[in-house]
Amino acid sequence: MVNYSDDPKWADITPIPQDDGGPHPLAAIAYSDEYSEAMGYLRAVMAKEEHSERVLDLTEHIIEMNPAHYTVWLYRAKTLKELNFDLKTEIEWLNPAALKHLKNYQIWHHRQTIISQLNDPAGETDFIDTMLGPDSKNYHVWSYRQWLVKQFGLWKGEEGQKELDWVDGMIGDDVRNNSAWNHRWFVVFGCGEENIRDEAIVNREMGYAKAAIHKAPQNQSPWNYLHGIIRGSKTALSSLKDFALQFASLENPDDVHSSHALDLLAMIYAQDEDTKEKARQAFDLLANKYDPVRKPYWNYRKETLVN
Amino acid sequence: MSLVSGPGRGGVAAGLPQELSLYMDKHVSYIQSLDRRKDEREYWLTEHLRLSGLYWGLTALHLLGHPDALPRSQVIEFVLSCLHENGGFGAAPGHDSHMLYTVSGVQILATLDAFDELEARVQGGRLKIGQLVDIAGLQDAETGTFAGDEWGERDTRFLYGAFNALSLLGLLHLINVDKAVGHIQSCANFDGGYGTSPGAESHSGQVFTCLAALTIAGRLDLVDQDKLGAWLSERQLKNGGLNGRPEKKEDVCYSWWVFSSLAMLNKQHWIDGDKLANFILQCQDPQMGGFSDRPGDMVDVFHTCFGLAGLSLLKFPGLIEVDAVYCMPRAVTKRCLSK
Ligand SMILES: [Zn+2]
Repeated sequence: MVNYSDDPKWADITPIPQDDGGPHPLAAIAYSDEYSEAMGYLRAVMAKEEHSERVLDLTEHIIEMNPAHYTVWLYRAKTLKELNFDLKTEIEWLNPAALKHLKNYQIWHHRQTIISQLNDPAGETDFIDTMLGPDSKNYHVWSYRQWLVKQFGLWKGEEGQKELDWVDGMIGDDVRNNSAWNHRWFVVFGCGEENIRDEAIVNREMGYAKAAIHKAPQNQSPWNYLHGIIRGSKTALSSLKDFALQFASLENPDDVHSSHALDLLAMIYAQDEDTKEKARQAFDLLANKYDPVRKPYWNYRKETLVN
Repeated sequence: MSLVSGPGRGGVAAGLPQELSLYMDKHVSYIQSLDRRKDEREYWLTEHLRLSGLYWGLTALHLLGHPDALPRSQVIEFVLSCLHENGGFGAAPGHDSHMLYTVSGVQILATLDAFDELEARVQGGRLKIGQLVDIAGLQDAETGTFAGDEWGERDTRFLYGAFNALSLLGLLHLINVDKAVGHIQSCANFDGGYGTSPGAESHSGQVFTCLAALTIAGRLDLVDQDKLGAWLSERQLKNGGLNGRPEKKEDVCYSWWVFSSLAMLNKQHWIDGDKLANFILQCQDPQMGGFSDRPGDMVDVFHTCFGLAGLSLLKFPGLIEVDAVYCMPRAVTKRCLSK
């Protein structure tokens, strides 16, 4: 346990106890442990606007105990700036802290501020790999990766290819990782908006999604990806009919391998007057057999088929 | 309001009966008990959320039809003690002001019909909250989005927070609504959902914030409603609960965000409401009160609020009507918004 009151280094500081804002029992104070002592010293240094090495130690100690306390991060960032502190050292300190507190977003914001001041992403992608190890869908980590890609142009040229290979590896590890699919979209179409009009890229990405669907036909992510490309590139839906038929067909209503394929078939059938009845059959199958939880949704879709 | 989880667990104590009911009295006493838990370490470790905790607890009590279960004057006193000179609220006395707690502060004062008390204590208080850094000053002039504090972290949650608080205060004209609406549009994704920033993965919580902000702005016409409704309804899992993203677990709080979003689109019926109600009821602790995120986990005030809000939106008997956009009693938002 760290103790400040017996530490000569802190002898000049009188800790400021919690001010509960007045006489109201709703916020009455009754704590006296390591955390409360450290907070008392923090209030004191904040009151005199001290920015020093020992403030970094103090904020580090408090963050270890309670990383979600946003005021502490804010004060630490100010102190780093005042001291002109070596930011590489700060990043080295942040790495294990981030691993320990996977769901904390103050850490990520802090990191983003520092990396953008350093203006150098070296080592960051390796660090992200470490972070995604225990939780491959961590929203903060993926958001940070997007920021990195955008900030340092990692979606272009050789770097862009590397990024694509990396996300391909992530999807290879878990084809149902929706965060990885979203990142692929971000790299290919989000950053390079003109790519949705590039036939070669559109075909490549459609092929990529289709291959993933073959691996797990009921997986939502590649279907969403495929629909996104179709809409964005204005590809005719009907060109996907043979593909959809590989997973679902009205001839074999008991042998449907993907409700998403059935949905796509219904969309294709709905476009043509002659096949509207087939679209109705597909929606009935979805409502009654393959996705009954969303029965009202499928019925709504059926009702929108105007005769 | 303590954010300590427990002591109970959702759904496991002594096993819930077949026919599920809502243990209203237990939930009231559970929330009342939260302020007596100051001897627990976690009470203090969650101090940075205190004001939001109070909002969750108070909202739950109002939905349960027990608005006076916490002493009104003490609550107001505490809220005002979190108010800074700059017009923003911190999570607790002595904490920096932040958008999230400013919104909670405004929501609590609105729920208690206490804007007059605010004015009496801080002259021009309403305008001060609206005008100064914490809301209006935090809008990015270039992109239209909002930061949570002077530190500059940006997220559609803060944009929604600004819309929520300013509309309750009758001060929405202080910000550039069109620009903010444009920013929301830039967060729309290829799958029909919305993320924290342009390109970020679709997420039910962010869908809620974007849709609610667009509802307040009167711009739901900008939404691809069928596509988003489909994505939202895909969040329901076989056990009736709703999740936040594809391939993630169900959770009571996501159930609220998804279901309230469907309600804003008038598509509540696209999912199985009975199954959802059943899932939420299974997350109660029938003995000690409170709701957990899913059956078997510890209860907390956050999930208690969103569990009750979800049930209210499902028109569960005995509960006061909730406003899907604000997560506050409908009667309160009606009163504030008609002024
Ligand atoms: Zn939750």
